Amino acid sequence: MKTIIQLYLANLKEYRRERMEIFWTLAFPILFMLLFGIIFSGNGNTTFDVGIANQDQGSAGAGLIQAFQGVSVFKVTTGNESTLMSSLKKGDLTVLLVIPPNMTASIAADKASNVAVYYDPTNQTTPQVVLPIVSQVVQGFNQGLTHQPALVVVTPKTVTAANLREIDFLLPGILAMSLMQLGLFATANVLVQLRQQQVLRRLGATPLPRSMLLISQVLFRLTIGLLQAAAIILVGVWFFNVHILGNPIILVGIVLFGSLMFIALGYLISGLARTQESSAAITNLINFPMMILSGIFFPLTLMPNWIRPLVDAMPLTYLADLLRRVMINSTPVFPLTTDVGVLAGWLVVCSLLALRFFRWE
Amino acid sequence: MQAIEVENLKKYYGKIRAVDGISLSIGQGEVFALLGPNGAGKTTTIEIIEGLRLPDSGIVNVLGLDVIRQPRQVKSRIGIQLQNTALFQRLTVAEVLELFRTFYPGQTRNSRELIDLVDLGEKKDTQSRELSGGQRQRLSVALALVNYPEIVFLDEPTTGLDPQARRSLWDTIRQIQKSGASVLLTTHYMEEAQELCDRVAIIDSGTVIAMDTPGNLIQQNFNETIIEFNTAGSRPLDGIFHGLAGLTRPEMVKDHHVTLYTANTVATLGSLMNLSERGEIHFDTLNVRVATLEDVFLKLTGKTIRD
Repeated sequence: MKTIIQLYLANLKEYRRERMEIFWTLAFPILFMLLFGIIFSGNGNTTFDVGIANQDQGSAGAGLIQAFQGVSVFKVTTGNESTLMSSLKKGDLTVLLVIPPNMTASIAADKASNVAVYYDPTNQTTPQVVLPIVSQVVQGFNQGLTHQPALVVVTPKTVTAANLREIDFLLPGILAMSLMQLGLFATANVLVQLRQQQVLRRLGATPLPRSMLLISQVLFRLTIGLLQAAAIILVGVWFFNVHILGNPIILVGIVLFGSLMFIALGYLISGLARTQESSAAITNLINFPMMILSGIFFPLTLMPNWIRPLVDAMPLTYLADLLRRVMINSTPVFPLTTDVGVLAGWLVVCSLLALRFFRWE
Repeated sequence: MQAIEVENLKKYYGKIRAVDGISLSIGQGEVFALLGPNGAGKTTTIEIIEGLRLPDSGIVNVLGLDVIRQPRQVKSRIGIQLQNTALFQRLTVAEVLELFRTFYPGQTRNSRELIDLVDLGEKKDTQSRELSGGQRQRLSVALALVNYPEIVFLDEPTTGLDPQARRSLWDTIRQIQKSGASVLLTTHYMEEAQELCDRVAIIDSGTVIAMDTPGNLIQQNFNETIIEFNTAGSRPLDGIFHGLAGLTRPEMVKDHHVTLYTANTVATLGSLMNLSERGEIHFDTLNVRVATLEDVFLKLTGKTIRD
């Protein structure tokens, strides 16, 4: 135990003295945050323009409009469908709702009515922010009509109070990206370097059990993962007023879980790469598509269908989704069990393969 | 019990027979050198004995333990210095030494004592990446001494060191010997082996071609004096020295460097002068000396050690 602690402290000491390491693991994600924060913080207190074309003559249509007007982040414009549709196409509206004719009558007859929602999928916030609120408003309206007990009234309040902006979405994504890069650049590349410099070999010439070395290295990297999370969150909170919701203990758990998964991937790569050059090539080859395709900067809805199998296979997709779900309470893309299950699967597979392929010299 | 016992050790890499049936027996407190040119199999041999590599076949006993079956027990009782290892780059000399102390279950030397042993006092707070080659080498030797090892393995400890640093390391090795430990070192410096070692094994192409004390090796191979010179000009030298007075064995010629072995220095020198006066040969430099291990090596392998 003493040995593990000493090795762990030695790792931390070396880390503290290595400026490039600190830059890539801490300064780089913070710069990312600042950069995107400045770009996107312009629309700070956004309200979303909602167009409603009411084709219903009765009380239900008017009631629904009233319900939408009651939501503070929505600025409601009413009008006829074709005028509003052209405003939506120009980008003046975020979403357009079309209330069907005879909705009042249908409700009275206990028949379902279809409120159509039009939106532009290239606008990142729409599917992730506006649609959930819209459906929650409609749901609330529904409950009012059917007089069912309102079990989920709390949720719409939370979402609207959180006042989600681009930066709120980016923060968990950037955190997920940093944890991935911790596994790639700060694990795989560093281990290959240690092997090439024969440090691992020298340690193998002592009676130090290899498991102790492994445990101390993983603990060290998990610590870096937590530092990254703390740095990114603090920058988000201090500079951009990002609201972090969710249980901090669960958040720490997810950060450790995600870090561990990518650290295992890093060990696997270091076992497969023979030289520092090939390790750098492999890590970049993995880093780049994950950064672009995992829904960190671009929403998954933007991805063409043919690339979805790749997107759905990438662990970063699920880590970002999981972090968003917990940190900003956004509408998740995948069910919780899928997020956790896929990440756990990657963790197990990478760990087993890493143990199989890892070389000390 | 011998400190190290090796029997018929073999290690092949494809067609290359790196170690091809080496047997050694090294006593406690002995300083023993594996002597040979680069690629002779010295490092492979020493690393198999250390338990860092597995042999294809053969028996290796270190301190009475089977290295292949009990590598950890062996490693906790020996000290190892490897060729060109970089250490924890961002840790200071003292920090690296203190860290290594925690790897050993038994008693360890404290970092100050180790630093004194290898004379790194001025550098104890310097990060290891800022050390010079020689200083790094000394740190590497210090790491091999952390656990009061019963055997110290030094793989080319003085390669790349300047003469002064080499002599200071020789002092350290003598101190290790005084503490009662055995030392197994590899080197391609003949004078180093001659200066430090109780016994040497000359290794070539993965086999031991001679093993004895440096003095015995020289005596058994040479009763004669050695005359060396460089010839100037491109004249072929074939047969020119045939029948020269006093020669005990055929001459060794490499490029323009000629080595003659004589039982009668004066007679041989006289007849060489005659050759020179007749214009059949031109000397560049002429050197008369007694035999060294280097000559033994040259005689036994037909090549110089730095080939």
